[in-house]
Amino acid sequence: MLEIRNLRKHYGNFQALNGLDLEIPEGELFGFVGPNGAGKTTTLKIIASLLLADSGSILIDGVNAMKDNRGLKEKIGYVPDFFGVYDNLKVSEYMEFFASCYGIEGRQARTRCTELLEQVKLEDRADFFVDGLSRGMKQRLCLARALIHDPRLLILDEPASGLDPRTRMEFTAMLKELREQGKTLIVSSHILSELSELCTSIGIIEQGRMVLQGSMEQIFEQVNSSNPLLISVFSNMEQALAILKSHPCVQTISVKKDEIKLGFLGDRQDEAMLLQQLIDADVMVSGFMREKGSLESIFMQITAHEGEKAVLKHEMESGL
Amino acid sequence: MKWNPVYKRELMVSSRSIRMAVILLLFNGILAIVALFNLFSVVEQVKLTAEIQYSRFLELYTFVSFIEFIMLLFIMPALTASSVSGEREKQTLELMLTTTMDPREIVLGKLWFALTTMLLLAVSALPIQSLVFVYGGVTVADLAMLFICHGVVAALTGGIGMFCSSLLKRSTLSTVCAYVVIVLLVAGTYAANVFAFRMDMNELNAYVYTANSAVRRASSGGFIYLLLLNPAITFYAVITRQAGSGDIRVPFEQWFGALPDNAVIDHWILISLGLQLLAAVLLIAAAVYTVTPVRGGGKRVQEEPEKSRQNARKLRVKIARFHAFRA
Repeated sequence: MLEIRNLRKHYGNFQALNGLDLEIPEGELFGFVGPNGAGKTTTLKIIASLLLADSGSILIDGVNAMKDNRGLKEKIGYVPDFFGVYDNLKVSEYMEFFASCYGIEGRQARTRCTELLEQVKLEDRADFFVDGLSRGMKQRLCLARALIHDPRLLILDEPASGLDPRTRMEFTAMLKELREQGKTLIVSSHILSELSELCTSIGIIEQGRMVLQGSMEQIFEQVNSSNPLLISVFSNMEQALAILKSHPCVQTISVKKDEIKLGFLGDRQDEAMLLQQLIDADVMVSGFMREKGSLESIFMQITAHEGEKAVLKHEMESGL
Repeated sequence: MKWNPVYKRELMVSSRSIRMAVILLLFNGILAIVALFNLFSVVEQVKLTAEIQYSRFLELYTFVSFIEFIMLLFIMPALTASSVSGEREKQTLELMLTTTMDPREIVLGKLWFALTTMLLLAVSALPIQSLVFVYGGVTVADLAMLFICHGVVAALTGGIGMFCSSLLKRSTLSTVCAYVVIVLLVAGTYAANVFAFRMDMNELNAYVYTANSAVRRASSGGFIYLLLLNPAITFYAVITRQAGSGDIRVPFEQWFGALPDNAVIDHWILISLGLQLLAAVLLIAAAVYTVTPVRGGGKRVQEEPEKSRQNARKLRVKIARFHAFRA
C-alpha cells in the first residue's frame, strides 16, 4: 500500500529525515513511533502532500506521490494532531463542505455525511455547531471528515492526545473497525501501551531514520530474545548455578531468593537445551521464561542516547 | 454549475453573522443622510432664489462615488488580508490542502467572497446614487465606467490583501502589511511625484538666468508613470472626466508640473486600469503559488541529486584539466 524509499528532508541545518525507508502492506494498522523531533510529523506531512521532500520516492497504492499529486490525495485521508474546525458552521455543513472539496455534491454528499456521522456516533449532533462540540467529538468528526472520500490509506497524527481514557478507547475501537473494513492506517502516537494493543505492525523512527520495523509479533520476539531469562528453582540451587556459570550463552547471573535472572544470548533452541540440562541434573525448575518486553521498553532501548543506554544496560545486568 | 466550495462556505457563514447587515446599515445610512441634506438644501435654495443648482446633484454623485472608493480601499484589504492567514490560524488550511481541491480555488473562493461583499455594498448604494438621474448630468455609461473603475480597485486591493495573507502567517501582520502597501501605492507614488517636481523646480530656479529655463518647465519626469498604479489617481481621473473639468491634464499639471505629450497621458484611464488589473492578476497568481505546498510534483525533487552529481562530475573534470595544465 505504502512504499517510501530514501526520503530526505531538511529545515535549514537540521536534517529532519535522513534516508527514511518504510513499507506498509495493505490492511495494516501501522504504529509510527519515535521521540519528539524524530521526524514523524514531517514524514506524515510529506505523505499527505503538505510538505515537499528534498529527495526520495513515495508510492501509494501504485500511485507515485511525487508525480500524481491529485491521485495521491484521492487515496489518502489525513487526521492531523489538531482539530481544524470553523466557527458558525454546523456538523453536517462542515462535513458537506469537505465533501464538496473532494467534488462530492448534493444528495451523494448528504448520504455519505449521514453514513459517516453514524459511523463515528455523531448522528444526533448533525445540527450542532462544530465549535460547541467536546474534544472527543471534534476528534471523531475529524476522523469522519478524513473518510469523506473513502480513502484507502488513513494517516492519523497523534489522534488520541488530550482525550480522556474512555474517549480514547472508543476512538481506538473505531480505528480497529476501519482496519476490519479493509483500510490501511498509519497512527503516530506517544501512548505506546495503546499502540501495542491496536497496531498490527510498528515502525520506530529515530533522528530521521527507521531504526526498527516489522509486525508486532516479530518485534516482540526480537526484543524478548534480548530480555533476561527468569528461572525459578524449587530445589538444588547450587547445581543449577554451577550449570549456568559454565553455559556459553550465559552473560550475567543475578539471584534473588529462589529466582535466577540470566542475561542469556541464545535462541529458543538454546533455551530448551538449557532447561533440559537443568532437569537432567536433578534441578527442580518451577518456572522458566523470558521476561516479557513492552513497547515502552523497546522504545526506551532503541531511542535512548548513549548515556541512557549505559544506565539501562547496568540496570539490566544488575537486575534492577 | 459547480460552486466554489470555499466561496459557498464563506457566504453561508457570513449570512449568519450580523456584521454584514451592520455594515450595510451604516454605509447606506450615511449616504442617505448626506443625500437628504443635499436635497433639502437644494429645495431651500429654490424657495429663496427660484434657481435650481444642478451641480449639487453631481456633487452628490461624486460624494457617493468617493465614499464607495474609500470603502473599497479600506474594507477590501481587511476582508482579504485575513482570509488565508485566518485559515492558517484556525488550522483549517492544511485540511483543505490535503483534499483534491486546487489551491487556486481556495484563493479565488476567498477573493470572490470579498468582491461579492463589495458588490453588495455598491448595489445597495445604487438607489441613492441614482438620484443624479432625476436631473441628469451623468449617463448610464458614466456609471458603468465608475463601476469598472471600482471593480479594478477592488481587484487590486483584494490582490494585495490576498498576497499578504498567503505570505504571512499572522492575520494582524498581513493586514498591517496590506495597508502599508496600499498607503505606499496611493500616498507614496503621489509624494514621490510631488518631491520630484519640487526638486526639478528648485533646479530650474537655480538656473533662472540661463536660456534653458525659459524653454523648459518643471516636471516630475518619469515618476509620473508610477501614478498609473495609483488607484486614487485613476478614480480621480474618472470622476474629473464625468463630473469635473473633463481633462485630467489640468489638475495633473498643477500638482506635478509639465506633462509629456504622449499616448499614455492621452489614454491615462484605460492604461492605468489595465495595468492595475494586470498587477491584481499577478498578485493573485503569486498568492496561489505561495499557498500551494507541493508544486510540480517530485520530478524536480528526484532530478536534483542527479543534477548535483552531474555538476560535481563537471567540476572534477575541470579540476583535473586545471592540474594537467599546471603540470
